Amino acid sequence: MTPNEDGSIGTSLHGVTAREQVFSLSVEDGLSSQAIRSDDPTAKFAIPVDSEHRAKVFKPLSFAKPHMRAFHLGWISFFTCFISTFAAAPLVPVIRDNLDLTKTDIGNAGVASVSGAIFSRLAMGAVCDLLGARYGTAFSLMLSAPAVFSMSFVSDAGSYLAVRFMIGFCLATFVSCQYWTSVMFTGKIIGLVNGCAGGWGDMGGGVTQLLMPMVYHVIKLTGATPFTAWRFAFFIPGFLQIIIGILVLTLGQDLPDGNLSTLQKSGQVSKDKFSKVFWFAVKNYRTWILFVLYGFSMGVELTINNVISGYFYDRFHLTLHTAGIIAASFGMANFFARPFGGYASDVAARLFGMRGRLWTLWILQTVGALFCIWLGRASSLPIAILAMMLFSIGTQAACGALFGVAPFVSRRSLGLISGLTGAGGNFGSGVTQLLFFSSSRFSTAEGLSLMGVMAVVCTLPVALIHFPQWGSMFLRPSQHEERSKEEHYYGGEWTKEEKSLGLHEGSIKFAKNSQSERGRKAMLADIPTPGTGTPTHV
Amino acid sequence: MAVQTFLFASLIIFSSIESNHGATEVSLFANLENSLEVTAKPTRVGVVLEAGKDMVRITWMLKSSAKVNDDAAFKTVEVKLCYAPISQVDRPWRKTHNELSRDRSCPHKIVSKPYDKIPQSLNWTIDRETPTGTYFIRAYGTDVNGYEVAYGQSSDAEKTTNLFSVEGISGRHTSLDIASICFSVFSFGSLLVFLVKEKRKAKLQQRK
Repeated sequence: MTPNEDGSIGTSLHGVTAREQVFSLSVEDGLSSQAIRSDDPTAKFAIPVDSEHRAKVFKPLSFAKPHMRAFHLGWISFFTCFISTFAAAPLVPVIRDNLDLTKTDIGNAGVASVSGAIFSRLAMGAVCDLLGARYGTAFSLMLSAPAVFSMSFVSDAGSYLAVRFMIGFCLATFVSCQYWTSVMFTGKIIGLVNGCAGGWGDMGGGVTQLLMPMVYHVIKLTGATPFTAWRFAFFIPGFLQIIIGILVLTLGQDLPDGNLSTLQKSGQVSKDKFSKVFWFAVKNYRTWILFVLYGFSMGVELTINNVISGYFYDRFHLTLHTAGIIAASFGMANFFARPFGGYASDVAARLFGMRGRLWTLWILQTVGALFCIWLGRASSLPIAILAMMLFSIGTQAACGALFGVAPFVSRRSLGLISGLTGAGGNFGSGVTQLLFFSSSRFSTAEGLSLMGVMAVVCTLPVALIHFPQWGSMFLRPSQHEERSKEEHYYGGEWTKEEKSLGLHEGSIKFAKNSQSERGRKAMLADIPTPGTGTPTHV
Repeated sequence: MAVQTFLFASLIIFSSIESNHGATEVSLFANLENSLEVTAKPTRVGVVLEAGKDMVRITWMLKSSAKVNDDAAFKTVEVKLCYAPISQVDRPWRKTHNELSRDRSCPHKIVSKPYDKIPQSLNWTIDRETPTGTYFIRAYGTDVNGYEVAYGQSSDAEKTTNLFSVEGISGRHTSLDIASICFSVFSFGSLLVFLVKEKRKAKLQQRK
């Protein structure tokens, strides 16, 4: 992947239509309808960009505006929200005594903590499409901070459940984070970027298992009773949310060319209709398969965040501190596991196209689920830890691989599809917690194994995802003249009237950039004719 | 990199796990002699006692029916607060286990005193950190090595009589509540301020 690779066939058509509505610079500087080198207006960006001004290179150590800054703000917001949502889990041994909770109460609160996000993730998809990722993130962070603080008021099982439910709404930042990176980074590296953003954010679920017991102990040292200390400990995640929210609003930018409201008002980005965005997301069957798949990769991960600390504490008779360390290593594996999944997806795409991405997804998720079955059956501590680590790597990598596929399902409804998929993750977590961890019917160990079995079964639908232009796990791409083109798939989301108004330009650009999903064989066979072989001048 | 992280994690874990070696003898509850007579009388009868405030008068002595040398083995008496079955329902972390090292039904230690032939008593103020629940008192007679050899409890074998209920402290404080409200208002407020500022800026830009 050299920075000068103009593999996207069609950049030479740049400027020919004279309807360049996305580039604010070309309008202001008067370089209007002439042929523009794709590098010129992008000279103001610190990182090489493609025709949509999305970064072509991922530099994790940079904070360059706007791409890398968006990346860092996105994943840190998501990280903070994970800390808040699962902050109660490592403190449950204290909370259950304070509030006289039963296993059912704890299980139900766990279900509640992930259920709120089902709705908020759906709403967030729409918010991002319509208002931009910055506002979406800030709303999520700053409107749920009060819920985190209100743990100080909780006095029984009912109020505990209600507060955990309300805190859980903030997991919508997942959608805004993935959306933000998807508009800032180009398709070839999107698997890796989304994997890093998602993975580093998910790490919050691990960090909280260490952070909260530590904060709790420090507060106890100042003389507070345990039953006050845990309530005060929740102030830390609350503060973090407010601080990061303010940073997002002041330092962030919605799109590579500016903020959404500014671009919309100056006519450079058209406002889309929510009903259309919603319809095209819902109509696409692939959205629902991803919904189920994510429910059993991320869903399983969320469930584990809630139950694993208590599992090790109770079954292996460890201290709160030790159980927290083990539970934390599950979540911390996200640091490299999820990016690895995204990267593996990108590599598979380079070699085999979208089919490679789908196979990678299936393999990683199934392997993870098999290790989950093993975890439930492990009766000695070292074996349980080994099984847990392998399980965490497989499942988290599967999450990363899934978001290597998701950006290609739709261009028009990208936000809503991220939202629906994300909601699926929470839905899966709610279902598994309700079925296996909320009653005394199964021991926690049995619950873990059964959850693994269910995950294996629910990963099979990935074989049903078929793209006419790229194929599926078992089927080749369509040989049909029209349907085998990316433009047909993405253009199909716009009606004839909308096309005549040129509203679908963005999708067509995206379609051209997405030809990388054909895989190496198809790319080699598709050698550009001499006419379009010189992309730098017309 | 996966292997490295795993090895690092296991290093941390193993260095912090307490070793369980040395427990050559496994104490089983069923093997203990019920040779201690324990009574527990709350100062206020028939009401729910308050943690940190109310007192329970606990007495323990060797049973009159015990044989002459039954107490030869014990050096110390450990008095513990135990959960009644009703407080164990749907709470597997308080489960009763025959193996005493794995038993979780008596987690709160009240006092540990050297054994004396004469009857002992104690006016115990219920610990402030005692959770809400229904309890009884149990005393274990332990030998030189710390292993339990005998026991006695204030309730019957089915743990249904002579129970007392305790209401734990809530842990809530007015100052905490107020701080919580202040920060919540700040969060909402700063979001509103930003929204208004940006709307104004966008309007100005549009006018241009």
